[in-house]
Amino acid sequence: MSFSRRNFLIATGVVAASSSVLTACGGGGGGSASDTPKVTGSKTMEIPVGTKADSTGPAPEVKGAVKGGTIYSLEQFDMDHLDPAQIYVSTEAAITVPIMRGLTGYKIDDKGGVTLVGDAATDPGTAKDGGKTWVFTLKDGLKWEDGSDVTMDDVRHTFERLFASFITEGPRYVQQWLVGGDKYKGPYEGKHLDSIEIDGKTITFRLTEARGDFNYTLAMRGYSLVPEKHDTKEKYDKQPFSCGPYRIESRSVGKSMTYVRNEHWDPATDPIRNAYPDKFAFSYGFQPLAATDRYIADKGNDQYAVPIFNEVAAERVAQVLTDAELKKRVLTAVDTVTYYWPINTTRITDVKVRQAINCAWPHQQLQTIRGGASTTEIATTILSPVTPGYEKFDLYGTTKKPGGDPAKAKALLKEAGKLGQKLVIAYQQSDNSVKQAVAIKNALEEAGFTVVNKQVDKSTFYTQIGDTDNGFDLFAAGWSPDWPNGYSVFYPCWSGKNIGKGRSNYAQLDDTGVNKAIDAASAITDPEKANKAWGAIDRQIMELAAVVPDYHSIRNWMYGSKVGNVVYDAGNTCVALCKLYAKK
Amino acid sequence: MLRFLVRRVFGAMVILLIISAVTFWLFYAVPRDPAMMSCGKNCTPENLEQIRKNLGIDESIIMQYWHWLAGIFTGRDYGGYGYCDAPCLGYSFANNEPVFGTIMNRMPLTLSLAFGSAAFFLVIGVGAGMLAALKQGKFLDKFASSVSLLGSSLQIYFVGYIAMFFLVSQLGIFSQPSYTPLTENPAAWVSGLLLPWLVLSIIFTANYTRMTRSQMVEQLSEDYVRTARAKGLSRANVFFRFAWRGAMGPIVTLFGIDLGTLIGGAIITESVFSLQGVGRLAVQAVDQSDLPMQLGVTVLAAGAIVFFNIVVDAVYALIDPRIRLA
Repeated sequence: MSFSRRNFLIATGVVAASSSVLTACGGGGGGSASDTPKVTGSKTMEIPVGTKADSTGPAPEVKGAVKGGTIYSLEQFDMDHLDPAQIYVSTEAAITVPIMRGLTGYKIDDKGGVTLVGDAATDPGTAKDGGKTWVFTLKDGLKWEDGSDVTMDDVRHTFERLFASFITEGPRYVQQWLVGGDKYKGPYEGKHLDSIEIDGKTITFRLTEARGDFNYTLAMRGYSLVPEKHDTKEKYDKQPFSCGPYRIESRSVGKSMTYVRNEHWDPATDPIRNAYPDKFAFSYGFQPLAATDRYIADKGNDQYAVPIFNEVAAERVAQVLTDAELKKRVLTAVDTVTYYWPINTTRITDVKVRQAINCAWPHQQLQTIRGGASTTEIATTILSPVTPGYEKFDLYGTTKKPGGDPAKAKALLKEAGKLGQKLVIAYQQSDNSVKQAVAIKNALEEAGFTVVNKQVDKSTFYTQIGDTDNGFDLFAAGWSPDWPNGYSVFYPCWSGKNIGKGRSNYAQLDDTGVNKAIDAASAITDPEKANKAWGAIDRQIMELAAVVPDYHSIRNWMYGSKVGNVVYDAGNTCVALCKLYAKK
Repeated sequence: MLRFLVRRVFGAMVILLIISAVTFWLFYAVPRDPAMMSCGKNCTPENLEQIRKNLGIDESIIMQYWHWLAGIFTGRDYGGYGYCDAPCLGYSFANNEPVFGTIMNRMPLTLSLAFGSAAFFLVIGVGAGMLAALKQGKFLDKFASSVSLLGSSLQIYFVGYIAMFFLVSQLGIFSQPSYTPLTENPAAWVSGLLLPWLVLSIIFTANYTRMTRSQMVEQLSEDYVRTARAKGLSRANVFFRFAWRGAMGPIVTLFGIDLGTLIGGAIITESVFSLQGVGRLAVQAVDQSDLPMQLGVTVLAAGAIVFFNIVVDAVYALIDPRIRLA
């Protein structure tokens, strides 16, 4: 999943469904920042497909949990979107778990393990025709917040409205795969999409290609249900209708939002959500430092507060992770995201020049600027070590020389006859980005490049780098798998089919070998073989040096002392809101 | 007096019109496409065109300004985004809400912050200044002058964080700054805003102390004060009835500007204390390149300053009859 401007700003993960991860709740021992998890060596957590029994509610009870109370949250920003079809950012996906349900979803067990289950559907779906047809059955007893039934028309409408012109931000997988999706304009002109069929309580999707992972795709928040009768089109983004355990009681954009119980939700239909608190009160406008200080102080209602995306501020990481008492209230998780710098291959066409950039890259300096090894780990691959398919390699000697190897880079440039090669680097206007841009410029110039740094308005940064004629050679981006396999990393970002304005192949890599390999790996249904293929593609792209992998993320969230069962939601790479409880 | 006020209000409206026109032109003339920001990642040329039409930015700047201006009185339809009721100051594509409603939503906090702190800095500042003038050259005067010098050299982002750390986090003397509507819970309203009021007033108090002291000292050396004393009026009578009244002019002017500025948004104070008032809204609007919101906040801030200048003029007129006759 790509970054929104907001995600980049807060430098958090961006996934809707990630495959990670190792988590650790401070756990009382602690007292040293050095015993925080590392990305490398962390266990790759596969998300298995559950059974019909796994998909049956209620969610397993959390030991010691009590009902009632209010959970608070101090966040930096409000959500850009609440219309599920517009949601492609992990924080928005995470905050809407209590109010939205999709056909499938991720169930978290008491050990932090995650399983793909049927959420609104009775099971995680049945594939036919080798994965070209998928069938789901809607559960009985699902109701909207006004007490009306969730109908099959609602389910069909959910998917048909994805094609409407006002849906511009969400994931595009289903739209691309559904037969006839290329010509369909949405349901508002009175036409249905023939490749979505409903019959009684079942819905059938007919796809243009075999997609063995279609049920994982549907677990993305972008495919959560929307009621046909209450679909207010553009305005739905402001106040969506709930079929989850909570509903929006009030919302003041940019300021606050409150969830209260949806009395029509039946826990017997829901295997995912426990819904212990009576209320969630989200407040926005808290800088990470201010929020961290309040979590440290742990006074009043802040004792019941938990963050969604405000991680421990870089300025307080050392304090929090080295104080045994404070560390007890920190949830640490290794993320599946890899932050990297795509190299525009249409401008930097010589592979030796691109390799020289990789050799000269000042990984260590950048890591220091970002807050050190407690929050990031230097990357040498596109896939994160916790993503299935990850293969460990380091083609450009980053591990040995994390500060960069200007001599080797210069030699490569000389070999290519490009000493003094001009590089235009685009970066966002923020303090941290400026510091990083300076470090990169110094390192690359030492290696024989001529660097021009260009500040780009952060609100249009991704629009600008997504333009095929953007005039930049190098720019920051990042990606995390939308569901646990390499397809959702390599197809959107590295297939030649995804070059175009607004697409995610920012490097504009159109290599025949890579394209063929991606197509071939996409068709492999055996997960083990597919993972191997994705790992090989990672290496293939790195050999072409189309990108500089920068870092993998380790995330720390601090919470109040009276919040119980703070666990990581690997499906949304955030704190699992529906597993929390307010201690008495 | 009425004629005086009508004249001032009319002048203020002209000023606001000029400010809004210039601001509008500055914001909308820059090479930035609000529609592009609203259009999203999967933007198509058709969508972009539709959004431009909905937002009314497919017209010339003059027509856009005219429609914006008309919207203040008649409201405006933003296509699929909805109808913006009068007074419509535009539509925020970032918040997906009419600008005026969003500003009004933040206004109670900003008003609470402005008037609360104003009460503190006016009473303490003017009081300390008068005391210093009364005890001119003595310890109290030197103490008040030194403290005010120290106060005026401090910055909110410094005092605020220090106060938060010691008085809230460490000692727990104050509650976490927050906003509860006055009508909902007056005690919570006071306790949540007390620290921001005090911090904000520290900075402002210093100015008022120094200004009041210097004005009072000047007035006390005027001939009319000496005459009053010579005629046998009591010291208190001379001090409060004559000298104080004469010193108030510049202080009222300063107060009008300060209050107007605060209502336009106490950006740093709101940021330091994580309060969501108009100031933070302005920062967010800048951060998100939300031009309609920036325009709305700018016009509102200008309006507040102009309004309080009229109030100041009226107070002047009350204090000094020569003004209203001018």
